[in-house]
Amino acid sequence: MSRRTDKSLRAVLVVLQALLAIVVLLPFFWMVSVSLKPATEPFAIPARLWPEHPTFGNYLTAFRPEFQTYFINSTVVSLTTVVIAVTLGLLAAYCFTRFQMWLLTVLMTLVLLAQMFPASAIIIPIYKLMKGANLLNTYASLIIAYVTVTLPIAIWMLRAFLARLPVTLEEAAAIDGAGPLRAFFEIIVPLCRPGILATAVFVLIVTWQEFLFALSFTSTRDMRTLPVGMNDFIGQYGIRYGELMASSVLISLPVVLIFFLLQRQFVAGLTAGAVKG
Amino acid sequence: MATVKLQRVAKRWGSVVGLEDLSLDIADQEFLVLLGPSGCGKTTTMRIIAGLEDPTAGDIFIDDERVNDKPARDRDLAMVFQNYGLYPHMTVADNIGYPLKVRHVPRPDREARVLEAARRVELADLLRRRPAELSGGQRQRVALARVIVRKPRLFLMDEPLSNLDAKLRTTMRAQLKHLQRELAITTIYVTHDQIEAMTLADRIVILSKGRIQQQGSPEDIYAKPINTFVAGFIGSPPMNLIPGEIADGAFRHSAGRIAGPFATSGAVLLGQRPEHVALVAPADGHLNGTVFSSELLGDTRLVTVEAGSDLIGVKTDPRETHAMGRQVGVRFDAEHLHLFDARTGVRIT
Repeated sequence: MSRRTDKSLRAVLVVLQALLAIVVLLPFFWMVSVSLKPATEPFAIPARLWPEHPTFGNYLTAFRPEFQTYFINSTVVSLTTVVIAVTLGLLAAYCFTRFQMWLLTVLMTLVLLAQMFPASAIIIPIYKLMKGANLLNTYASLIIAYVTVTLPIAIWMLRAFLARLPVTLEEAAAIDGAGPLRAFFEIIVPLCRPGILATAVFVLIVTWQEFLFALSFTSTRDMRTLPVGMNDFIGQYGIRYGELMASSVLISLPVVLIFFLLQRQFVAGLTAGAVKG
Repeated sequence: MATVKLQRVAKRWGSVVGLEDLSLDIADQEFLVLLGPSGCGKTTTMRIIAGLEDPTAGDIFIDDERVNDKPARDRDLAMVFQNYGLYPHMTVADNIGYPLKVRHVPRPDREARVLEAARRVELADLLRRRPAELSGGQRQRVALARVIVRKPRLFLMDEPLSNLDAKLRTTMRAQLKHLQRELAITTIYVTHDQIEAMTLADRIVILSKGRIQQQGSPEDIYAKPINTFVAGFIGSPPMNLIPGEIADGAFRHSAGRIAGPFATSGAVLLGQRPEHVALVAPADGHLNGTVFSSELLGDTRLVTVEAGSDLIGVKTDPRETHAMGRQVGVRFDAEHLHLFDARTGVRIT
């Protein structure tokens, strides 16, 4: 009896999972499908799930010279942000887990609070600051804004990791003759590698796809990032869906690749951070 | 050469007292064991000597140099942690060699010394493994090798055997003692296991509630415990402590009396170790009772006798059998009697 209910329960769960997967994956499928359709097809009625005459023409248009400029800009901004946010996050998280002072508790709460403001609420003050500092339309403006947005989350993710490392290891290093900096780089950092990777991928995904700041802070074509660059296909008289979707696919690819390459570490990182050992 | 001196050391966390006015001298090459129940302050004492914890008051001297303000890494000591404190991302060889690497010992020299230390603890064929691939006993030996790979002034060991199974613990105990004698390095060893303390120590310091209860050689502490806490803590099975009263120089108990003469009076606890008590015919016993249980320990048999409302342990010949409920007499050895004040627990004679 109970075995039968187990089986039917499992069947129901599988069906639900499949439905969920369809809901989540359909937009991606549609993105790829539209990117392969010739210009006339996206609005054909009845709509077709898969193009009747698949073409790579949209990709050829999307992959224009500007795309390379945008790609370089995105790469520079994202990677710099990742390096800064993860480095600062690791150092901050280390302090938050290893030293006990009321001031740190207050700071940690503030960090959490900072995370709660939506980008649209802080974008105008940050814009004014950038303008005052004469940084508009530079890499620096974007990097500063992105570090501001991602650092709190980076600190929280890394903190969960560091909290699980037994203090005994640092004490052993001290007894063995290592100073605090040496112990940090030779013991703590290597043991935190999964957490560092997970945090880096997370920061990368957030900055790589960011649109609002990039659109507001850059004014010339040569400073634009990939998501803003896609805007080129949205014109006054129409939206070129084929090329837009082809760009989307091209932009998503690097992040998807990195995610799959690091998947093991990344997922291990997420669960390790979540479940307190 | 290393001596350690603690002068009136105290440790408090807010209102919680960890150590109270503790003074201790440790001689060069001595094997000193800090013994006590959990929370007695023994680990805190060791961590203060190591420099992992700052004392609230008092001074610590190593080789007559005040080291209160010296960080752990500059105190030139080595420590085995209870959970070993091995670096999980390093191989066994790198773990053992880390103290040398930090001190910039050149690689060829380092490798030779790592190999030698590993050989000493029989780890030479496991050098390329990582700690996660080792058994508890092997990990413990890695921790030990990391300690002996260089010649520190002091060995500190915090319950190093407590995570091992009983058989391995006995073997490692012998190895530890042998190593310490051979290397002739002052050693401070923390344990709650009185057998470990008895077997390893030159001197035992018994702590309870942050204070030293008694210190001395294992023989002295075993033969002359200073109070009922020490009497009950040292020895297995523990010393019999029988409440009674001394009047007119004789010890009176509901199940009989001991003539004495005793030079005190009032309520006392009469102490005697099970190996000094004898089972005799009811007519010849100081106290009379019935056999409560009889347990074979191997080389001896522990017979527990119920006398009045008290249980008295007696070690007998293992070949003797004693039926439960049988009437017996219990005879004490006048030479090995201990008397403690019933109220304070302090030794009277």
